[in-house]
Amino acid sequence: MVRVLKPVELIVVASEKGRVTVKYPYQEPLVTSDFRGAIRIDASKCIGCGACVKACPPNALELLESPERLVIRYFVGRCIFCWRCVDVCPVKAVVGTREFELATDRVEDLFNYTVHRRAECRECGSGFATRRMVEYVTEKSAVSEYYANECPECRKAKILNAVARRRGGV
Amino acid sequence: MPGVEEYVRLAQERGGRWVVHGDTVHLVVDPSDLRPIADKIFNEYGACFRTCVGTDERPLNNHFSITHLFTDDRSGLYIALKSYLDPENPVAPSIADVVPAADWCELEAWDMLGIRFEGRRLERLVLPYWWPEGVHPLRKEFDYKSRPDVSLARSERVTLRKEVGTVPLGPYHPALHEPEYFELYVKGERVVDVRYRGFHVHRGIEKLAESRMNYQQVNFLAERICGICGFEHSTCYALAVEKAAGVDVPERAQFIRSIVLEVERLHSHLLLLGVAFHLLGYDAGFMHMWRVRERTMVLAEMLTGSRKTYGINLVGGVRRDINEEKKSKVLSELGELVKDFKRVVEIAVSAPNVKRRLTGTGLLPKEDARRLGVEGPVARGSGIDKDARRDLPYAAYKYASFRVPVYTEGDNMARVLVRVEEVFESVSIIEQLLDKLPKGPIMAEKVEIPPGRVGVQVVEAPRGGDVHYVLTGDGRPYRWRVRAPTYANIPALKVMLRDQRLADAPITIASIDPCFSCTDRVVVVRDDGVVERLEVGASW
Repeated sequence: MVRVLKPVELIVVASEKGRVTVKYPYQEPLVTSDFRGAIRIDASKCIGCGACVKACPPNALELLESPERLVIRYFVGRCIFCWRCVDVCPVKAVVGTREFELATDRVEDLFNYTVHRRAECRECGSGFATRRMVEYVTEKSAVSEYYANECPECRKAKILNAVARRRGGV
Repeated sequence: MPGVEEYVRLAQERGGRWVVHGDTVHLVVDPSDLRPIADKIFNEYGACFRTCVGTDERPLNNHFSITHLFTDDRSGLYIALKSYLDPENPVAPSIADVVPAADWCELEAWDMLGIRFEGRRLERLVLPYWWPEGVHPLRKEFDYKSRPDVSLARSERVTLRKEVGTVPLGPYHPALHEPEYFELYVKGERVVDVRYRGFHVHRGIEKLAESRMNYQQVNFLAERICGICGFEHSTCYALAVEKAAGVDVPERAQFIRSIVLEVERLHSHLLLLGVAFHLLGYDAGFMHMWRVRERTMVLAEMLTGSRKTYGINLVGGVRRDINEEKKSKVLSELGELVKDFKRVVEIAVSAPNVKRRLTGTGLLPKEDARRLGVEGPVARGSGIDKDARRDLPYAAYKYASFRVPVYTEGDNMARVLVRVEEVFESVSIIEQLLDKLPKGPIMAEKVEIPPGRVGVQVVEAPRGGDVHYVLTGDGRPYRWRVRAPTYANIPALKVMLRDQRLADAPITIASIDPCFSCTDRVVVVRDDGVVERLEVGASW
């Protein structure tokens, strides 16, 4: 008799547990403090090195390059919220947030741009790297200071010239 | 019990070459010797066939290759039986008649690489039927971005037979919302035969990893093979690469991996139990099972930062540590969970409609289970005592003691009960490992991956063994082969569905806890550039 009535016990369980669903979005919060959500890039700290772009598995972070500008584009629609960019950023410009309510009816809201100005080569005047990156490198290493303002092409040419001169010209 | 020497002798006798690398025995033999050796390993030594891997090695050594992967679960050995094939006309003898479990992976090698198998019928398995002939996507000259020009995909016709009725089930499974297609042939209420057509959701994951990603990025891609047991895949990939490269992973990282793997098993088993009850029309049981499951989801979020697709694995270690506070939270939460689960599942399994419909349906005899190489709870429900966590210990499982539940009935009830017991074992494993959690770093100091190394790894996912094979290359895997457990379990459905009532078909299909998307991996073709009509490939 008891065995037959066993399934009925579920009523007891149900009355003990009560309602377990949350009245979202009127009740807070849906996620715990450990949750990984969208990222935010602090443009004042970012140096445009592209480490985050290289680490990003789904290409949510992309590097858009032109002679004048270097832009880091973050497309949240592709983001998998792994926070690899947060791990690899050398200047802690990328911060993880708990944001997850990202739906929007305007596609522009899904993009975030961090724009960098190129550093200018003191020899040929063409743009290379970013200004911030050059500042960052010179700050970190005093030795690099005197040639840090030259673009890689001019640096290469200079070295070749120097080598050639020492040989007495070719 | 055969050991390394017996396996090496197989190659030695026939003038082949061999290398023993850690727990893996690599045998390289002439293609003509593949069949007798595979026969001996599978039928005489009783090793378990896991999968086969075709590789386009022409850029490396101007050959194709086929590698059959076996594991000897009693001595904890991996056996990789490899043969080099002609670059112009790759032909290998089929082993599917002596090793029935190799049926699908041979067809896949034919589709993806154009390796012909002699002595069997070759047909399309993976590629859609309108895919052009002679285009094999996993060949290295095939660019991962290219799409063949094809006409709009035409619908496939249902095969009608005169003598029996045809019931199409799918392309969306009524319970699992994943694309697959079963054609059930019925006589009255009885299912007499089944045809399966899957691989509707190929995502080109292997090709993508081999073409665009680097070693660390592939972890996150591997995690997305499956929405339910993703962490098993990323762990399996990471372990395979670490094995290939000889990376020394800190103990603490391995413990954390094992703990998170068990959390994932908990949520997966609770999910399936809920789905099973739902399919039997017992929605109260379904709701309560998922209420219990919610605890494991919150646990996962606390431990990893995400409810699913945890994203904490890297080659060389893990990214999130478990501190004392989290440890005590996990332990108290698990205590509650076990109490709650025990009470609900006892009630649910004793419900008369659940009991009657699970008992005696979907029978899979032990011999068929062995021949078809089924995995996980499906094998354990049919009396095959195998579990990679115990037999081929990886991560930190050698530090935990646990029981592997085995039932001999082979019916749907047995498969459900295996899962119920595994929930209790998983909780006990997590408690043991948290207790023994060693101190130290969670990431290897140095991760260097030289090219040309091979790593094979089996990880026991909730549905059975995942198999990952990695041939390392320059900055990314040269060849990455994934086999999800459902890949091995679906062929067994033919046996399980036959001679059953039609009404039991959905629950029988669900009882293998199928995961169609992780079985299907390989290619997506969009019809955005419709150019011209081409001749259709295989005819139906």
